[in-house]
Amino acid sequence: MAEPTAKQVLVDPLVNNNPITLQILGLCSSLAVTTNMQTAVVMSIAVTAVTACSSAAIAAIRNFIPSSIRIIVQMTVIATMVIVVDQILQAYAFALSQKLSVFVGLIITNCIVMGRAEAFAMKTGPWLSFLDGIGNGLGYSIILLLVGFVRELSGSGKLFGVTILKPVTEGGWYVTNGMMLISPSAFFLIGAIVWAVRTWKPEQIEKE
Amino acid sequence: MQRDSIQNTFRVAILLCLVCSVMVSVTAVGLRDTQQAQKERFRQENILKAAGLWEPGLKAESVFREQIHTVVVDLETDKSTDRFAAGAKELDVKSAIRDRNLSRAVDGSDETGTDLASIVRRETYATIYEVREDGRTKTLVLPIRGYGLWSTLWGFIAIDFSTADPAHPSSLKVKGLTYFQHAETPGLGGEVDNELWKAKWPGRQIFEDDWSVALEVSKTPSKDSQVDAISGATLTSNGVTNMLKYWLGPNGFGPYVQSVLAKNASAPASQPESETSIPKGER
Repeated sequence: MAEPTAKQVLVDPLVNNNPITLQILGLCSSLAVTTNMQTAVVMSIAVTAVTACSSAAIAAIRNFIPSSIRIIVQMTVIATMVIVVDQILQAYAFALSQKLSVFVGLIITNCIVMGRAEAFAMKTGPWLSFLDGIGNGLGYSIILLLVGFVRELSGSGKLFGVTILKPVTEGGWYVTNGMMLISPSAFFLIGAIVWAVRTWKPEQIEKE
Repeated sequence: MQRDSIQNTFRVAILLCLVCSVMVSVTAVGLRDTQQAQKERFRQENILKAAGLWEPGLKAESVFREQIHTVVVDLETDKSTDRFAAGAKELDVKSAIRDRNLSRAVDGSDETGTDLASIVRRETYATIYEVREDGRTKTLVLPIRGYGLWSTLWGFIAIDFSTADPAHPSSLKVKGLTYFQHAETPGLGGEVDNELWKAKWPGRQIFEDDWSVALEVSKTPSKDSQVDAISGATLTSNGVTNMLKYWLGPNGFGPYVQSVLAKNASAPASQPESETSIPKGER
């Protein structure tokens, strides 16, 4: 297998090999934290940071990891990063960390992080793995932000908590779409995004 | 292969655990002070929110210092006490309920009655917060806690005295209700944090005229004292009702609230207090 270039690992996961739309990973958190942009942004940053740092750390020690305990070693590294991120959020973004509640802790179980560690970082050097982590984190972020944008705007008429379309309940004209605030709407949106991407890039469609 | 030998497996596992635990401990210890400060600020914000004094952009600490009077209530005698300095460690609820001298057991067999809120032990000295105007209590912010579905919910309920008629306890209204700590299911019980749900509370009737607690969460609200329950969160909703019944009832702050109402009625309706006599709001 030819060594991928830095640009490839960084840009590929954005659309061509997007962890959410192509690999259908990390859905749980993308349903949970996208009712508004603020939590979506913080979650994006957290996942990107964790994926990048854990991939780099695992890549750095990949030649020493015995294959029998490789998964648990990866988990330990990832869990450590997640706890560090969680602690930092609690110290510097307390209100947000309350809103994100369990979902920061659940980054540990995010398949994207684990998937990149196992599929990429175990075979590649730290620098490329770091970039790969950033790339996949950004791929995840793009979808999260898109979904968050649509859900917050149509669900509550706001963006980042600032009123854009004044809802009827506050004396405006916009009738908010309550469905957008509940989790299934994220499924519909992600489905629509998958459809759009595969219409644009038909090579992503699986063969029957 | 050397890498997959049993020896090496153990060596890698132990080393990794050491490195990771050091990293986690360093972050946790290093950030503890900042986190505590954040928690305290968040708690103060919640007190202000319950009292209806909070607006985004305000500095919780300074509003708190200027407007809030901290009072310690002895729940055995139902009178305020100044035995403790502000922020004394005896007033820390979490440690007080582990101390025999600072708390008492609350269970069905105890003479204090049933443990409605499932708190197991109740502190003797509770810190409450008052907003005063012209020497009268305008708003009383009481700490409440109780078990929901997964966790103890910690919060505040504020009682509005401004329109109260001393002869009719039913004229006392809710000023606000907030929770600052809980671990209920996000999206279900966690909706106690939902601003829309919290907005249903202000203006509600709290007591019947015989001082029994009327305020409750109900699936079929039909009275002014019944707040619509959170859908999908029956146990959390029941927990909220139970802690209101307990903390506002005779074993909680009920008698103290009665004494405040009586004191308010006897206070001279005259000039505002002079600057100097207003005790400095404390922590």
